[in-house]
Formats: sequence, C-alpha cells, structure tokens
Amino acid sequence: MVLLYLVLGTVFGFVLSRSGAADYDFIQGMFLLTNFQLYGIIGSAVAITAPSLWLLKRYGKTLTGQPLVIELKPGHRGNVIGGVLFGVGWSISGMCPGPILVSIGEGKVYALAVLAGSLIGAAAFGVAYPKLQRPMRLPVLARGTGDG
Amino acid sequence: MLILHDMQAIHWAVAGLGISFVTLTLLAVANRRLGVSTGFEDVCSLVLDAPYFKRSAITSGRPWRLPLLAGLVSGGILSAVLGGGWSPVWDLGMFDTEIGWGPGGKVVWMFAGGLFIGFGTRLAGGCTSGHGIFGLSNLEIPSLITTISFMAAGVVTTNLIYRVIL
Repeated sequence: MVLLYLVLGTVFGFVLSRSGAADYDFIQGMFLLTNFQLYGIIGSAVAITAPSLWLLKRYGKTLTGQPLVIELKPGHRGNVIGGVLFGVGWSISGMCPGPILVSIGEGKVYALAVLAGSLIGAAAFGVAYPKLQRPMRLPVLARGTGDG
Repeated sequence: MLILHDMQAIHWAVAGLGISFVTLTLLAVANRRLGVSTGFEDVCSLVLDAPYFKRSAITSGRPWRLPLLAGLVSGGILSAVLGGGWSPVWDLGMFDTEIGWGPGGKVVWMFAGGLFIGFGTRLAGGCTSGHGIFGLSNLEIPSLITTISFMAAGVVTTNLIYRVIL
C-alpha cells in the first residue's frame, strides 16, 4: 500500500507541477483574476470528482469490499479565520501545501523556506490548540480540526 | 508559460482529470480522504510531544500520508527531470520583475508566507485539496466556507501587493 500512496502522490505532484498549480506566476494570475487556469483546474477536478464520489457513496464499498468511510470535516470559527490566514499565506508565497512539496522536488529553492514556515506554523497551532479551542469553537482535542 | 523550463502548461481540464483520478483512487482503493496539510502535523508529530500531536488521528495517518507527501516531492523531481533536467531554480517570476528583492528578503518573505499557511490550514482543518477538492466535491458546508475564505483572502492580498502597493 505504501507504494500506492507514493505513486498517487507522484502523479498528483507531476500534474500540479505541469499545470501551473505550483507556479508563482499562475497563482498570482489566479488571485489577480487575469488567469483562468487555476479556476479551470479546481473547477474541473470538483466537477469530475463530485458525481463520481456520489456514485461511490451509493455503492458504499471500496474496491476491496470494505465499507466506505468518509469522515466529515467539522464546522467552526476556524474555517473562516484559518481560511483567511491560509489565503494570505498562499498569496505571499504563491504555493499551497501540495505545491510546496512539489516545488521542492522541482528544485525551487525558496520553497524550502515556505516549508520551514509551514511546519513551524502547524506546530504552533498544535501547541496552541487547547487555548484556541474555546474562542474558535474547535472540536475536542482527540478529533482535531479534521484531516485534509 | 511555466517558470520551470519555460514549459507550456498542460490544459486545465487534463489537470482536473488527473487530480480527480488521484482523489477517487485514494478513496476507492484505500478508503482515504485526500488532504495534504494534515501531513504537516504528521511531520510535526515525529518530533513534538504536545498532546495535539500524540492523538491517534495523527499517528494512525502517518503510514499513508507521509508516503503521499514523499510522492508529491518525487512528482516535482520527475517533472523537472523529464522537462529538461533537474537543477536548483532561483527564479520567482513576477516577484523578481515587480518586487525585485534579493535572496535574504525572499527567504524571509517566503518563510512568513509559510507561517500563515501552516497555522491557517490547520486552524481551518484543511487546504486546497482537503477542503477545496474533496470537501467541495462531497458538498460539505465547512469546506465551502473555508474555500470562499481562502480564495477571497488570496484575491485581496495579491491585489494589495501588486495593484495597490506597487
């Protein structure tokens, strides 16, 4: 199974690299509303995934016969506040989490600084979780904010 | 045109199809929900002892999420090698032409962006993949709220930088 995750990650990474999703100028073009490419990518990915996902949920099983499990993400104040912080970071660096790793693979040197910041940011969030829980209405610590 | 080897970008629909294939295979074969930013927590959990990083949702996810993250890096390597060879890339596109800071400034700027990304994605419970691709496809309201929030913040920030300040 490890091989499957590696291969899927590689396909995902290759597509992100060649489509502009890991490209500083394409990201700024998206946010400046001058380049349709990223909207097309995300939009078509959702347009293809949504109906397929609906069918798969109706089928209710994985291809190996296990019951399908999809853990839903909890709703809380962090969706808006965290989302805004992430949007600012995406604009500053021109990368979202997947493309940070893709860019490092491509050899883009400054992506290493983005990764370092991201890991420290995530670490700070994890350490601050007990303090953020009440003001942000976050789920119990054992659940966290959800995988994704 | 991409910064990487000045290549022509593939069509957006081809990219959308590829991302959809990865998302659906991950779920249909391995019962996994696509998401990248939780991987940051997985990496943190390798070295940090805070209770947040000791919960089972994190430790049980490491065996699949860490290989997926490694795959993203190898996808980037493969893309560079097949596209004309791997070499360090210092080019930052319009950041260089419009803002034009030196290496020190760029490192600080990029690091700062990373702090926002790491803290923000984890507070929101996901990033472009987990909320934007999977969550929207699964018609989850928190994902819609998060996606609108990060897209709006990105539009405002980039416009402030490139149209107001510059």
